[in-house]
Amino acid sequence: MQKSLFGFIWKFSKRQQLTILGITMLSFPILYMTLELPKWIVNDAIDGSDFPRTILGYQLEQIPYLLTLCAIFLGLVVLNNVVKFVLNVYKGVVGERMLRRLRYLLYFQIMRFRLPQFRGVSAGELISMMIAEVEDLGVFIGDAVATPAFQGGTLIVYIVFIFVQDPFLGAAAVSLYPIQGYIIPKLQRRVVLLARDRVKNVRKISDKVGESVAGITEIHAHDTSQWHLADITDKLLTNYRIRLEIYKRKYMIKFINNFMNQLPPFFFYSVGGYLVISGELTFGALVAVLAAYKDLANPWKELITYYQNLSNMNVKYDTVIENFDPPNMYPPTRLDADREEDVSLDGDIVFNNVSASFGSGQEVADIRLTIPAHEQMVVFGSGSSGRTEVLLLAAGLMDAASGRVEIGGKSLDQLAESALGRDIAYVGPSPYMFNDTIRGNVVYSLRHRPVGPAEIDEDEHKLRLSEAKLTGNSRYDFDASWEDLASAGVEDARDLDQHILDLFDRTGLGNDLFRMGLKSNIDPEADPELAERVLEARRTITERIRSDEELRDLVDLWRADAFNPNGSLAENALFALPSDPSVPLEQIAQDADVIAALKEAGVHDDLVDIGAQVAETMIELFSGMAVDDSLMGDFSLLTNDQLPAFEPYVRAYRTGGYAALKPEQASELVGLAFRVVPARHRLAEIDDDRAARFVSGREIVRKRLEALGGRFALFDPEHYIKPLKVEENILFGKPRLDRRGASDRIEAFIRNALSELGVRDPLAKAGLDYHVGVAGSRLSPVQRRRVGLVRALLKRPKITLLDGTVDEEPRVIDEIRKACGDNTLVVGTASTQVARRFGRIVVMQEGRLVQDGDYDSVASAISEDQDEDHRAQADEAVEAEEETA
Amino acid sequence: MSLDTEVDALKKVPLFRDVDDAKLRLLAFISERMSFRAGEHLCEQGESGDVAYIILEGSADIQISTNHGPATVATVKQNDVVGEIAILIDVPRTASVVATTEMKVLAIAKDNFLKLLKNFPDMAIEVMRVLAQRLERTTREVGRLRAGSAGAEK
Repeated sequence: MQKSLFGFIWKFSKRQQLTILGITMLSFPILYMTLELPKWIVNDAIDGSDFPRTILGYQLEQIPYLLTLCAIFLGLVVLNNVVKFVLNVYKGVVGERMLRRLRYLLYFQIMRFRLPQFRGVSAGELISMMIAEVEDLGVFIGDAVATPAFQGGTLIVYIVFIFVQDPFLGAAAVSLYPIQGYIIPKLQRRVVLLARDRVKNVRKISDKVGESVAGITEIHAHDTSQWHLADITDKLLTNYRIRLEIYKRKYMIKFINNFMNQLPPFFFYSVGGYLVISGELTFGALVAVLAAYKDLANPWKELITYYQNLSNMNVKYDTVIENFDPPNMYPPTRLDADREEDVSLDGDIVFNNVSASFGSGQEVADIRLTIPAHEQMVVFGSGSSGRTEVLLLAAGLMDAASGRVEIGGKSLDQLAESALGRDIAYVGPSPYMFNDTIRGNVVYSLRHRPVGPAEIDEDEHKLRLSEAKLTGNSRYDFDASWEDLASAGVEDARDLDQHILDLFDRTGLGNDLFRMGLKSNIDPEADPELAERVLEARRTITERIRSDEELRDLVDLWRADAFNPNGSLAENALFALPSDPSVPLEQIAQDADVIAALKEAGVHDDLVDIGAQVAETMIELFSGMAVDDSLMGDFSLLTNDQLPAFEPYVRAYRTGGYAALKPEQASELVGLAFRVVPARHRLAEIDDDRAARFVSGREIVRKRLEALGGRFALFDPEHYIKPLKVEENILFGKPRLDRRGASDRIEAFIRNALSELGVRDPLAKAGLDYHVGVAGSRLSPVQRRRVGLVRALLKRPKITLLDGTVDEEPRVIDEIRKACGDNTLVVGTASTQVARRFGRIVVMQEGRLVQDGDYDSVASAISEDQDEDHRAQADEAVEAEEETA
Repeated sequence: MSLDTEVDALKKVPLFRDVDDAKLRLLAFISERMSFRAGEHLCEQGESGDVAYIILEGSADIQISTNHGPATVATVKQNDVVGEIAILIDVPRTASVVATTEMKVLAIAKDNFLKLLKNFPDMAIEVMRVLAQRLERTTREVGRLRAGSAGAEK
């Protein structure tokens, strides 16, 4: 990367900068004419004589002449502003393109970091640098050349003018410039240093914030929030101090500058006045010099501002770049988009006397090892034995300090990512999960290059491509289809899903997926087939429940002609839910159409009454007594903040009845009533009459909601109900709240019944749409490892390297061996259970390879306590997982 | 189905006799209303229990298992409470409770009850007083029995 800001600007926007300069120069004559023309108008047209005048062969009398000049003046004003507009937009375009290029470059640099280099940087700092710190550069880059050229030029013109009038006064006018030129950079230097400190401090703050978010569990677990708060307090104070210093110096510069600018007039009046009196200078010349000097101030001020800006931007650029340009990065060619060599990494993996260290003292020394192609073997050792390093070296993710790692005779450090990442799969003990669905996380390993065009129109495509070219960005379209189905060995998306599911079944995650599928929301329009199967299952399961007395006792099925005390009042009153499952129940009452429907159905007043009763009880239970969040949060239908807001509603309702409430207050109460589940909350009197009213009103509500064009999903035993989860769709009812364990028992019944009906696989596929959360937070560590494993196996690598991936369930390794078939498989493990399943075991201890042979021959090196250690670790992992589950 | 009937039932439980109405309403609200069919088990001897039941309707047998199968040792009916010790400490159930009729009960979960005590120390004191009375009675009973058996030995 360019070491200086100007180097960067010049290299990538030379032509554009010259264009900006050109347009700026072009605006001069126009500007000059707009100043000159009024003089003509006054002197020549209004005050002049000798009419008619001749313009371009036309004879014009005074009035037409005046109007013509005025019209030209107006035209020039418009033209001047048009040029300004074009110039500003063009500057914006240049600046933003350069900014885009810079950010892309910085991101590209991150991609070039070697693994150990990530140990020294924090994500928070990198983000802050890439996003916030370079932001101002965009504006500056547009002005980088034009401003100094323009203002400098103007300044020189004025100075020359003054010198021509009188050299002595000219000298007086510029006499203080050298002093300013000396003092200001001195002060500015200090500002620059402070700005550097400020940037670093801000980075530290963003790093700390990032750390706190990531480590929030530790913070609360050890009561260290005060420590972190104090830490931030301290950093913010430092920030304040630095900024204050910067302000002081900045305004000091301004002060000096202003003072120095107002000093020369002192000389003009005194010395110039003396010269005029003594007759050595004409009075007119002195006035002209004074006027010129006044004009001088403006460009000079602009230049100073520019200078301050420039030094500021230089600091920003330097402090950013130095972090993105560590020595010994991967060569850019490793990531070259065009480098698609047909290298097949088919062959023996050979370590020739390899030594390497991975920071922090862990190192491997003098490894000599040959892993023949198609062999399946184990590298055994504890976490600090060098086992991980050997696997990382074989994956080409880590570099040998001495010696070479070769696959099929090719040295790994010479190969491009496009070769390494397709034929080799590496899965560590905690594979990273992207914030996407499980499917997205798995097919991730197929996204090497786009395999088809994006579905966008031709013009948009061209625009994207040309912009990418102009800014040095990637020419690949993110919207294109990236999943390389061929490398997974499948024909289409349907096969792919089936294949992924097979892999998950093999690695033992199939049932988890099934469960996730049951808990998911599917879109019946996107997958009508699945919706149809769910409906079939609903019919069968409803039938079984009806015919089985015990089951019937556990469920309250939805019936259009019966009130369901185990469902919410919203569901009971509307017999429908908003199609968008993310709309909370209380918000439905904000919908004017819903309120109108309820009124027509004659249940609106009932709901208001129930809402008022509930609010009253909540206020009585939770407002009067100071209870803490453990009770409030778990049980109250109103939060602490809402309680006082509802108090006046209740009072109004109690004194004046329904009429005393404003419509929005009534809606709030209806919203509250909507959330009530009678069997759970027992807060309001819902007698048979009332229940019957809800039921008889459903027909009217249904007609009303139907007219709303799909905003609501109506409960209908024959239709899939989109806002309900798959499981709820299948049951089409509610487990009874008053029967102990009903919900667990019903769930188990549904699961068994579905497996019998053969709906398990389609639902497990629906589970692939499960969102894993940020960094996979919604999956357990074991689940994350399995997803990582399937991700690796999906691309059918020639060499699969697993490090501590399956230690907690050694049986899975047998399935993985089958899935790998004829390909090379190297498993790093500390579990003898895993190791004994392989014919060849390499034992690592303290960074050295100490044994190599079959299980019996290395058994002595696999010391018992090492295994024990590991087992304890595995147990802990399992426990942690259970907790998160 | 309203809180008031439940509060009335709670008031008759000795453990809560002197607790004021507002708190009992809260207790009723955070408890669950459950129903049992005749023959169903409310709880099982030997299980670790974390729920106390207050019987609102119906009756149940208290059974302990003997070598000759389960033996009924007592019957509980409306406004009786079973398993209240379980919501204070972790002990296995000392007996099974089997519904003899359709039952409606109020189930108080241990966690919720303890949260309530944490929020209202005076309620805890009330509970403590009742337990202390019981302890005192038991101690006296034991003393009397000891004295009796000592007398018999002589």
